[in-house]
Amino acid sequence: MEIAIGIILGCCALGAGAAMIAGIGPGIGEGNAVASACEAIGRQPECKGSVTTTMLMGCAIAETTGLYALVIAILLIFVAPNMLVNILLNAVK
Amino acid sequence: MGKNGFDLVKIDKTVIKETKYVASFVIIFSVLMQAVFLIIAKWNYTVLLGNLWGAAVAIGNFFAMGLFVQKAVMQNEQDARQTVKASQGLRFAAIFMLSVIGIIIFKQTPTRVAVLIPLIFPRFAVMLRPFIKK
Repeated sequence: MEIAIGIILGCCALGAGAAMIAGIGPGIGEGNAVASACEAIGRQPECKGSVTTTMLMGCAIAETTGLYALVIAILLIFVAPNMLVNILLNAVK
Repeated sequence: MGKNGFDLVKIDKTVIKETKYVASFVIIFSVLMQAVFLIIAKWNYTVLLGNLWGAAVAIGNFFAMGLFVQKAVMQNEQDARQTVKASQGLRFAAIFMLSVIGIIIFKQTPTRVAVLIPLIFPRFAVMLRPFIKK
């Protein structure tokens, strides 16, 4: 039983760690988007407002991928182990 | 420099406008989520508190992102890239810590889910953007 619980906890931790790999991408994507926006504003300073709006929305979309990963990781760390161990214990009983 | 040695940032009108837009949609989606919890008979006042916590974190994250983007567009390309990457790391760490605090405070599983789900509401707000008149 202890081994099974250990495997469940270990797999949850591994899954959470693997999910957080997705957190790397948004930073790079947002960085590129903002760099391009700086270039655009440098060329046409009068478009600053619309470029900023579009960029904010783009950054929000880019960041969502990381947030999904974060939510999954937090669920795997804090919510899933209890549920899975309870299911296992109920199945054994 | 400000009175106490802090830089007083003048917040861009665009950032305030977009934050208001996202905040309004986060509130709408939160109400819908509460309705869903009521329908599935999992609602209690802690679900509402958890939802408020998660919604505040989501709106705060968007506002912080706006501030960092506003700061970044004043810089050159390389500095802007570094600023945004650093801000993303900082905001992620902050979201993680605040979510974990919310999860530690609220012990019940539905409440924990209610803390986490509002974090993805800004995405839905942005998805609906083309359908909303400016």
